[in-house]
Amino acid sequence: MIKQLAAFLMLFMPTMLIAQNASVNGYITDKSSGETLISANVALLENNRGTSTNTLGYFSLTNLEPGTYTIAGSYIGFKLFRKTITLSADETLRLDIELEPNVVSTDEIVVTSDRVKEEQKDIGTAEINTELIKSLPKVFEADVFRSIQLLPGVKAASDFSSGLYIRGGSPDQTLILLDRNTVYNPSHFFGFFSTFNPDAIKDVRLYKGGYPAEYGGRLGSVLTIYNKDGNRNETEGTATLGMLASRISIEGPYKKGSWMFSARRSTLEPVLAALRSTSDNIPSSFYFLDFNGKVNFDASKNDKLSLAFYSGQDKVNFPFSDDAEFKLNYGNRTLSTNWTHIFSNKLFSNFVLTGSQYFNYPEVELGGTPIERRNNIYDYSVKADLEYLPNEKHELAIGIWAGTLTIRLNDRFDDEPSFSSRSHSKYGSVYLSDTWRPSDKWKIVSGIRTSYLSDGDYFRLEPRVSLEYKANDRIRLQTAYGRYNQYLTLITNEAFSGFDVWLTADDGVKPSFGDQFIVGAKTIPFLGYGLDIEFYYRTMNDMFELDPFLQDVSGLDYPELFRIGNGDAYGAELFFEKRVGDLTGFIGYTFAYTWKKFDEYNNDIGNPDGSGRRYPPKYDRRNDVNLVLSYQLSKRWKSTLSFNYATGQAYTQVLGRYTVSNTPWSNADFNTFTVGKINASRLPAYHRMDVSFARSGTFFGMGEAEWQFQIINVYSRRNIWFYNFDFDENPVSRSAVPLLPLLPTISYTVNF
Amino acid sequence: MRHLTLALLVFSVLLISCELYPQDEYEEFYVVENYLTALDELSNLYLSTTAPANIEYSFEDFAVRNASVQVNLLSEGVGSSIEDEFPYEMNEPGVYSPLVAHRTLPNRTYQLTISNIPGDIEASIEAYTTVPDTFSTVSQVQDTVIYQSENQIEIDITPSENSERQSYFVFTTISQNPSIENLTPLYADFFEDEEGDIKEFAKTSSGIVNEANFEQTPNGSIRLKYPWLAVAFFEDNKIVANIIDDNIYDFLRSQSVQLGGSTLSPGEIPNALYRIEGGIGVFGSLAADTIQTYIKRPE
Repeated sequence: MIKQLAAFLMLFMPTMLIAQNASVNGYITDKSSGETLISANVALLENNRGTSTNTLGYFSLTNLEPGTYTIAGSYIGFKLFRKTITLSADETLRLDIELEPNVVSTDEIVVTSDRVKEEQKDIGTAEINTELIKSLPKVFEADVFRSIQLLPGVKAASDFSSGLYIRGGSPDQTLILLDRNTVYNPSHFFGFFSTFNPDAIKDVRLYKGGYPAEYGGRLGSVLTIYNKDGNRNETEGTATLGMLASRISIEGPYKKGSWMFSARRSTLEPVLAALRSTSDNIPSSFYFLDFNGKVNFDASKNDKLSLAFYSGQDKVNFPFSDDAEFKLNYGNRTLSTNWTHIFSNKLFSNFVLTGSQYFNYPEVELGGTPIERRNNIYDYSVKADLEYLPNEKHELAIGIWAGTLTIRLNDRFDDEPSFSSRSHSKYGSVYLSDTWRPSDKWKIVSGIRTSYLSDGDYFRLEPRVSLEYKANDRIRLQTAYGRYNQYLTLITNEAFSGFDVWLTADDGVKPSFGDQFIVGAKTIPFLGYGLDIEFYYRTMNDMFELDPFLQDVSGLDYPELFRIGNGDAYGAELFFEKRVGDLTGFIGYTFAYTWKKFDEYNNDIGNPDGSGRRYPPKYDRRNDVNLVLSYQLSKRWKSTLSFNYATGQAYTQVLGRYTVSNTPWSNADFNTFTVGKINASRLPAYHRMDVSFARSGTFFGMGEAEWQFQIINVYSRRNIWFYNFDFDENPVSRSAVPLLPLLPTISYTVNF
Repeated sequence: MRHLTLALLVFSVLLISCELYPQDEYEEFYVVENYLTALDELSNLYLSTTAPANIEYSFEDFAVRNASVQVNLLSEGVGSSIEDEFPYEMNEPGVYSPLVAHRTLPNRTYQLTISNIPGDIEASIEAYTTVPDTFSTVSQVQDTVIYQSENQIEIDITPSENSERQSYFVFTTISQNPSIENLTPLYADFFEDEEGDIKEFAKTSSGIVNEANFEQTPNGSIRLKYPWLAVAFFEDNKIVANIIDDNIYDFLRSQSVQLGGSTLSPGEIPNALYRIEGGIGVFGSLAADTIQTYIKRPE
């Protein structure tokens, strides 16, 4: 026990060093807008000391010997910053670095950028450039999640879903944070798009697996999205007119900081009106909208405050018969206040208050019988994160996250309550981590996270560790392990996310947990290129999902709502990137297996009470290749191409049939299939190519403008979503339900 | 780097070459369909086999002929001795009728045995059902109600004794005058003028409705508020409340998700849940009570 305690202290306590007491710290920002830059690199060239900025754009280099240094700051897409500084004993130099956007590639920038980029990429992480999100061929609307789906290890359920299926995990296994605030249903248009407005976003970072102790609450992954702070130098804006939606974004400075506001709304009304004049069964109204905003207040050199909000909503009215109507109103609202305080050159802090609400109110009126649901989530939390730099070898981080989570679910059938549930949980977590660099070649990040949920009184411990070995300037070998817990489950349908309901673990329903093991390498095979490879294996235990066979949940005990299962996923990912020149892009390849297993599910037909056989979920794809290429055709024209090839998704092949047609309670025929193993067949392979052409110009001399012309599914591949069956035909007919057809779209953007 | 790439390739080839989850071939199963209704006479039993999904299907083509079929009344629950035997005989291909009259007893367990199937003498099918307790309507139901008026049809029934779980209901509406002119607006909109539509609409059923949905009155009865949604035709209708046993409950709730509508991904199709050894289908029981009312068109 004493040895274990000593080992623990060795791991987390800083090594005490003496005498080197000068330091330099500050923020790194974009000179043109004043936006802080996340994961920008800063280094002292003489002693090879370096670090990168945190998620607030802050850096600190401590325990420096007095002397004269050349400090360099760099970030992809920006010119290298160099400055000579002189540090005297005990001096703490505050140096806020402004990086100038890069317009011309030089060899120096290329080389530096390569190194910077490699430094940023920890194991299991990926950064998505916001400019790429906007330039990719888009299905009507630029979308963050659809861009993420191009990365290796990330899969889409279908062309109609922006849900993220990452390394074998379903969408609820990814924690989605907007300005450090949990977003529960990040979708518009019932799952077709994600809610995040690309004009408002500054940084998108995906932790596909093995994520650090700072985060928790999900079995698989974390997606962090940060909205822009707003331009601190001048007021500017952008407006985009699209076929599905239009959006506007304005940002600017004020005396003590900056602000940003953006809005987006669907513009489908004219299309719907035209369709209603020729067709039945068209919604009488449908729209979605969202607003993002942020105000920053620079209280002092060491104190920054910000207030960020998001509000989004989808609303549809659909009278689908003379005496039947479907209505749906769902959305999210988030508010977060952030206070960043620099205590000293060694201690940096960030405090956040968050509020996140999700609501979904579906209503159906069928032949005079109303069916309604009122589902709300209220999540209020407080977070505090401290970063302490005791010396040049250690970076300690400690943080807490505590809050209350209220989930209300009330169903009414025929004006009478049919199901009512209200959970009011308290949750909390504490983490401690240490980034230890014993030498230039090694980086060891170890951490531990504890978490608690009051429902069921669950307390969990989650160790995390990652190691990195820099074999040489071009190869870094990495590995990571982590234990992860999840207290929530999502009741959803792949085809439609408008009814999403979250439920928590509770008495009799244990939290899910899983382990992740990752090993990989980040390499630079040639200057301007990157090649990453990762292998992963992960487990998913005690997954609790709504029992799909429940038709009515009234009167059931809470544990009876769920089926409990396990799963595992493993695979390999390859990512090859060309970063410079007129032709840039990447190719990503994923080879993966995903398995799930639930009691009494997927048994032999004659053994319904068996323990269940494992099966691949529909989104399991064996091979998945994504190619993205951007080419600067001329000064004004740029084209982008994306191509995806993937093994067909799993489906259940029907083998036999019979009909139950003599029930005492109905004249209907109960046509029934017999099947073998669930999802043992594969749909035809999926492939699709999209292209986009962008022409830049000016808008009557008042500002820059850009036309975007896109063709989705250029060669009109009829990819299959699933098979549908028609029992009115004998033999029963099977028809393929197709995915997106060839789809041309156009949009126009003006910057002012 | 080359070694790493080579290792990846070898690893991939090994995994691809192993078929970890092969597709099954079609397998034929015996299909049973029989329902015991409390206090009603034993009903016909239907015995057939499954058909391959891609060929033309009719019950007659797959009927199982000349099997030995018998329903036994057990003295207590499953595993107890046989108290009474009710042999069946085939009177049409695959349709077996009881040879002796017997009114099904509530709260009792029945056993089905099928054997001596020609050409498959080893086959043996066995299933059990425990018949739900009877219940009755205790309130006066209005003779006439106006469709979609505020005065909905309300039925007070005595609770069915079932100590282990709440009751599961299925409601049936049986029109006495099913005609196109009598269709309510919702069903008229769904009516596609196809053969069989009127017959199907004439006797419609709800899905499974749990007892917990309904209000318990001070005198201990359960008040069922009948939804307008269930009314397909104006004029005379019979309304039947059915309490179903575990076997019908399992079949209905699992069969209904085969073609979507649950949380399963489209194309993920599970087998229905069966409580029959040596076969599939339904050997189930129910208790039912019926009221009649006239549903008048609104003014």
